[in-house]
Amino acid sequence: MTEQMKLKISGSPHLKNKAKTPHIMLDVIIGLLPVIGASIYFFGFSALILICNCTVTAIVTERFINLIRKRKSTIRDYSAALTGILVALILPPSISWYGATIGTVFAILVGKHLFGGLGSNIFNPALVGRAFLAAAYPKALTTYVKPGWSDTVSEATPLMLQKFSGESTSLGQLFLGNVSGSLGETSALCLLIGGFYLLIRRSAGWRIPVSLLFLVTVISTGGYLVKPGLGSPLFHLLSGGMLLGAFFMATDPVTTPTTKKGKFIFGGACAVLIMVIRYFSNLPEGVMYAILFTNATVPLINRYTRPKSFGLRREDEANI
Amino acid sequence: MLKVAEHKAPQDSLETEKFLSAQKLYLPVSQHTGRPSRICVEKNQIVEKNQLIARGDGLISASLHAPQKAKIVDIKNWYHPKLKKIQSLILKTQPETENREPLPALLNLDKTSKENLLKTISENGIVGMGGAGFPSHVKLNPPKKIDTLIINGCECEPYLASDCRLMIENLEGILKGIEIISKLIAPEKIIFAVEGNKKEAIKKINLFLHTKKNNSKIELRVLKSRYPQGGEKQLIYSVTQRKLSGKMLPFDAGCMVHNVATCYAIYKAVYFNQPLTSRVVTFCGDALVKPKNLWVNIGTTLSELVEKEIIKFKKIPKKIIFGGPMMGDAVTNLANPILKTTSGVLFLEKLPKEEEESACIRCGRCVNYCPMNLVPLEYAKMAKNKKYQGLKSYYIKDCIECGSCSYICPANIPILDYIKLGKEKIK
Repeated sequence: MTEQMKLKISGSPHLKNKAKTPHIMLDVIIGLLPVIGASIYFFGFSALILICNCTVTAIVTERFINLIRKRKSTIRDYSAALTGILVALILPPSISWYGATIGTVFAILVGKHLFGGLGSNIFNPALVGRAFLAAAYPKALTTYVKPGWSDTVSEATPLMLQKFSGESTSLGQLFLGNVSGSLGETSALCLLIGGFYLLIRRSAGWRIPVSLLFLVTVISTGGYLVKPGLGSPLFHLLSGGMLLGAFFMATDPVTTPTTKKGKFIFGGACAVLIMVIRYFSNLPEGVMYAILFTNATVPLINRYTRPKSFGLRREDEANI
Repeated sequence: MLKVAEHKAPQDSLETEKFLSAQKLYLPVSQHTGRPSRICVEKNQIVEKNQLIARGDGLISASLHAPQKAKIVDIKNWYHPKLKKIQSLILKTQPETENREPLPALLNLDKTSKENLLKTISENGIVGMGGAGFPSHVKLNPPKKIDTLIINGCECEPYLASDCRLMIENLEGILKGIEIISKLIAPEKIIFAVEGNKKEAIKKINLFLHTKKNNSKIELRVLKSRYPQGGEKQLIYSVTQRKLSGKMLPFDAGCMVHNVATCYAIYKAVYFNQPLTSRVVTFCGDALVKPKNLWVNIGTTLSELVEKEIIKFKKIPKKIIFGGPMMGDAVTNLANPILKTTSGVLFLEKLPKEEEESACIRCGRCVNYCPMNLVPLEYAKMAKNKKYQGLKSYYIKDCIECGSCSYICPANIPILDYIKLGKEKIK
């Protein structure tokens, strides 16, 4: 028996944790299921078609680029599928099918692979896709429809109403999601369920969403006390892309800092930018640009928050 | 720190058996940290049991003794689980001649001077048995005042149960060993640190501390089971909240850590003049019919244990690891001998699925779990791109090689392998 023994040699450790990249991506997709469900419930069958369109486009584009770059297929890590779903969820339900397709191709091609593919991209690919569409088709990206299955009646989003005409939306409606907006951002309830799923499964870190939402609460409370017309803290937390951004966009591991301290700073910076844009700019919503902008500062954040080696004091550091 | 699946059952409840009659013994001259021992016997010489066969050479070194009466049949390079082949004494054992005079032992601890105690410990070749094998007589003569003595009964590596069994079966010896250490360094506090998964051992220690009218200063500290809590720096932090940087040694923080097996070996050395020639080793893994804890002589090879059916295979092992699965060393064959520092040998048939290294997604899990607060992903990236010079500014030398980063990495990147490569390159 011992003669047939062929022993494998490898460096320690000889045990490995089971959670791998595909599991993490798949977990995020599972976390998005309630959101997807809500979008279909509120916007009808067309929402499902839009999501499928973007997902399939993302996967096909990924595979195509793999072939051009002569790399092994990376569609099985589910990152492309996830990007596709996310692109769909941040688009208005009324967008044309080709608009969504172009946005998705741009997200995967430019947002992800031009930077070197998974792990090397600087900006969140889904947001890059949307930013591109917002620049290329500004009208399509600012036209939102009333929730409903049959008739498409255009209606302003709660943030637009609040900003441009000072109308408030009931918090109950915002919480459940029966308001106009992008596919995946309307139902705060479903976003919270998905977000907590990610945190419990530890597929997303808690530091970024916690620091982001906390600082938004602080700033919007201050704003509300100074000028109630700016909207209540709860309104800001529940409206627009806040929760979708905090739980599913700002937690993308690739485009966020790797250090613990850096994650807090990243979340805080996003929060400040979101509120600056919401309060002072001509745009009703700022989550997308805030996250994209903060993505660009990640190398800097990583550099300045590099942890000190265990037990090292400041005076020791000078001697190294 | 990590929570790793423990795999301690059932070996943690199996009585230790004995196998102290190997036919051949292979004793490498380096089973400790420091200079290899200098051989002081010749080929074909007959040596008695417990006779010195290689002397500790230099300031940091340890002596080596014959575990059984034997003939030195050869002195040549032989397998060593941690190093390449190194010089080893090969002994063919002979039946024990009866009525052998026992060596004189120290009978009265109170009347023995510190120097004599240290000498006894040094002459009996005691080294740290938790894995590093640092010569105990050197450690026990620290240049600074020690206020806290920590007894390490953590055994945080999965699978291993040898320390656990020793605490259950030989607690009195361990406590006497602690008494000797405490006489040597006179600490203000003695903390016996055990991880919570060793319930039986904890019960025994508590029983001793509460029932006996003991005036010992020993204090039991039950810690959560985490990896790598048994590491010196991590344990000192868990117990005293004192942080030791990469370059500091425990005495810099007024601490000293001794493994329970070392305490027991010190007790045997001082009370019985028994050199360190045998130890408890856990043999386990899914390739074995059943796991075993065994008192075994150092130098015994795995092949002899297999031939004598002391350990029986259920399946052909695909990997054999000396030590625990997190920091242990995979070996190429059964000719490797048990060393003073071998706390267990794993025989694994089912290995984790081999998955190809994929792109780092920068999730930062390695950063979160690094017990030394390092940035492992940066090391892997730099080593991969051959930018070794950059590694210097990232405290790579402080890495304790616990492997938490490689364990947790979702992209299957062998981060620790890259770190070892990087360390080698910037030496």
